[in-house]
Amino acid sequence: MTAVSVQATPADAAECARILADASRDRRTIRVAGGMTKSYIGESGDTDDELRTSRLAGIVDHVPADLTVTVAGGTRIADLVAALASAGQFLPLDPPHAEAATIGGVIAANSNGFWRARYGSVRDLLIGTRIALPDGTVVRAGGRVVKNVAGYDLNKLFTGSFGTLGVIVEATLKVLPIPTASDGVLASFARGTDAFAAAERIARAAARAEAIVVERMARDDWRLLVTARGEAAAVARAVTDARREVKLRGGSPAELAGELAVLRELPARAADGALVRVAVPVAAQTAFADTAARLESFATLVADAASGVVRVHLHGDDPAVIRDAEALLLAARMVGGGGRVERRAEELRGRLSGWPTRSTGEALMRRIKDAFDPAGILEPGRSPA
Amino acid sequence: MLGARADLLMYEYDGAVDTATPDAVVLPESTADVSALARFCHEHAVPIVPRGAGTGLSGGAIPVEGGVVVSFARMARIIEIDVANMRAVVQPGVINLHLSTAAAPHGLHFVPDPSSQKACTLGGNVAENSGGPHTLSYGVTTNHVTGLEIVLSDGEVVRLGGKAVEDEGYDLVGTFVGSEGTLGLVTEITVKLVPLPEDKRTLMAAFDTMDAASETVSAIIAAGIVPSAIEMMDQLATEAVEAAVHAGYPLDAGGILLVEVDGPRDGLDDMRQRIEMICREHGARSIRIAATALERERLWAGRKGAFAAMGRLSPDYYVQDGVIPRTRLPEILRVVKAAGERHHLRVANVFHAGDGNLHPLILFDLRDGPEELERAKAAGLEILTACVEAGGSLTGEHGIGMEKNCYMPLQFAPHDLAAMRRVKDAFDPAGLMNPGKVFPTPSRCREFALPAAR
Repeated sequence: MTAVSVQATPADAAECARILADASRDRRTIRVAGGMTKSYIGESGDTDDELRTSRLAGIVDHVPADLTVTVAGGTRIADLVAALASAGQFLPLDPPHAEAATIGGVIAANSNGFWRARYGSVRDLLIGTRIALPDGTVVRAGGRVVKNVAGYDLNKLFTGSFGTLGVIVEATLKVLPIPTASDGVLASFARGTDAFAAAERIARAAARAEAIVVERMARDDWRLLVTARGEAAAVARAVTDARREVKLRGGSPAELAGELAVLRELPARAADGALVRVAVPVAAQTAFADTAARLESFATLVADAASGVVRVHLHGDDPAVIRDAEALLLAARMVGGGGRVERRAEELRGRLSGWPTRSTGEALMRRIKDAFDPAGILEPGRSPA
Repeated sequence: MLGARADLLMYEYDGAVDTATPDAVVLPESTADVSALARFCHEHAVPIVPRGAGTGLSGGAIPVEGGVVVSFARMARIIEIDVANMRAVVQPGVINLHLSTAAAPHGLHFVPDPSSQKACTLGGNVAENSGGPHTLSYGVTTNHVTGLEIVLSDGEVVRLGGKAVEDEGYDLVGTFVGSEGTLGLVTEITVKLVPLPEDKRTLMAAFDTMDAASETVSAIIAAGIVPSAIEMMDQLATEAVEAAVHAGYPLDAGGILLVEVDGPRDGLDDMRQRIEMICREHGARSIRIAATALERERLWAGRKGAFAAMGRLSPDYYVQDGVIPRTRLPEILRVVKAAGERHHLRVANVFHAGDGNLHPLILFDLRDGPEELERAKAAGLEILTACVEAGGSLTGEHGIGMEKNCYMPLQFAPHDLAAMRRVKDAFDPAGLMNPGKVFPTPSRCREFALPAAR
């Protein structure tokens, strides 16, 4: 796995910043570890030091009537969810690994689940951060208000930056009251085209679904999973409309149980072969899924069909996995999307790059990386440029 | 390109109170034009000030350090309405409302709806991260932009993002939106189009006091209802609006709420009834429900025409748009009132109560002398200070521009500003993009010896 010689566990933001400043001075590379659930992402995890955020944990402030919560970066999502639930509220974000992942890690990895089309993704929910930087300062971006255009929106820059610019020590997020009603629909289709067509119609329906997911089970066996939460009347309408769209396209509806939770954890399970994750324009999903399902090493496909985020698990012979993963990334680029090899077997590291090459914006990203981390100490294997 | 004195005068002001005359105005017709212009400016170290429709309220388009104003009036084409992917690709000079009008036949619209939406451009919306009444439940501009083509100050053309919900690497689209023209020039924008709601319910509730109206806002949100809009107006604003628009607001109410819910028809009436009940529980003395689309439009005409109607009350006004956590509304509105009284200026309030985004309109009369504006600014500063102290922000949608850049240290510590400066230097190392905006400038900000935030 990964080799680390020194582990640091700062107790507060200032100590965290001091550790980064010392490392910058000594040119020691650092990986930032929250719940360590997504350490498979990116290139080599080998660094001189490891900085763990486990002591930077806890709810800093929760004002239920403002629908905002401020938490320390190392707080586990599960703990945050429990604290919010006791006030009748929830974090409208369903990332994978939610049992052990921390909020800082979820922000740094821009880790989203299936709810993004309904409530937005990390970037839409995050309204404030405090970040420890490699120069030893702790800076604040955004605030605790839901609308704010004072200065640059550094929250966006840090979302999905994989710890390459700084360490998220605190975050303020939008939360919502727990809805009163929920329901769902599961449907099977013989053709992926029909499953995606139904998904597209449901995504545009008047009553907004909470999750719209397409899964390829086996040849000629595709599933569509839809959930809705909210006011009882709106939920009933969403489910009725979804069932109608399913029947119109020859799908057979059934009851939905805990299937979504299983699909959400695909990244946790796909430890062999390679897991390719792409984001493509929504209408391009059908063709992309068809291409994927025909590949020699294809194992399974799960799409957040309302957003166009598609994961494909490939397994089998190494050369086939490598060839197919590269083909999928190319296919995503051809339709104006992008992607990465999110996870791959240890033996494929070095032969299959996790990060794609970019055609534009790379120089700009490099300048930003250099501006925040001039000594290049933070997450050397995860820099996007 | 324009260089004649008379032409340049057209570009020396925008929607705010500051002015400065450009050295030249250029109207490019393509990305290549913009890139060539930037290369020229880079070679000769000439400041570049992008300009949309000039409706901004913080002086963002004012060439405070001279240089070239780049007007996007001739890059105003909707390149594509991509119905299947629910995206539009537009040039920056496209007028906000024109996009929604073009998308409407497909059952789609562009969400951000600033009051100036009949005039303001999408390029300006990107620069300012514009909002509007209906962004409460659907998000502001940054939540609706997925791709940008930008030209840096050295002429380099960079494409960021596209039609997909995200792209690999740093989120430079999100970093750029709201940067007020200080990072680069936008030459193409890809935005989300969202299905039009099936139906809406709009109601107006009148209260004796602004306190009662404010508490109602918190109660509605706390009840788990997220309306598409909650707007508030005080008596002075109502008076101006009624004189100008005849929206049918009661003139004797201390505070008025305009609440709209939208979505699937099912359950909308239930939700409207719940809101009505909350309003009554908080002392609403009258409630009017828009029964027809025409009545709804009339209620909204009052709100959207409020700034323009201020002319009925006073020849000049200075508008602030500080943000506070919504639970602090009653307390901060009292601060607003006190600030007006202290400076002997009338203050009208008409604002986005649902997200805590205030719009105090400080009324003054320049004919009484230039110190009137200074008094209005002093009252404004007191209000903004209170907003920041309440955990809020200097601006929710109008931007910092050259109007509030000296106030930035109220909200941000030197380290915070230094982090923003790193981003600025990465995009615009030569410092030519819209200088004198967002960041405090030593020359102009000397008189504001503000205590640092922390």
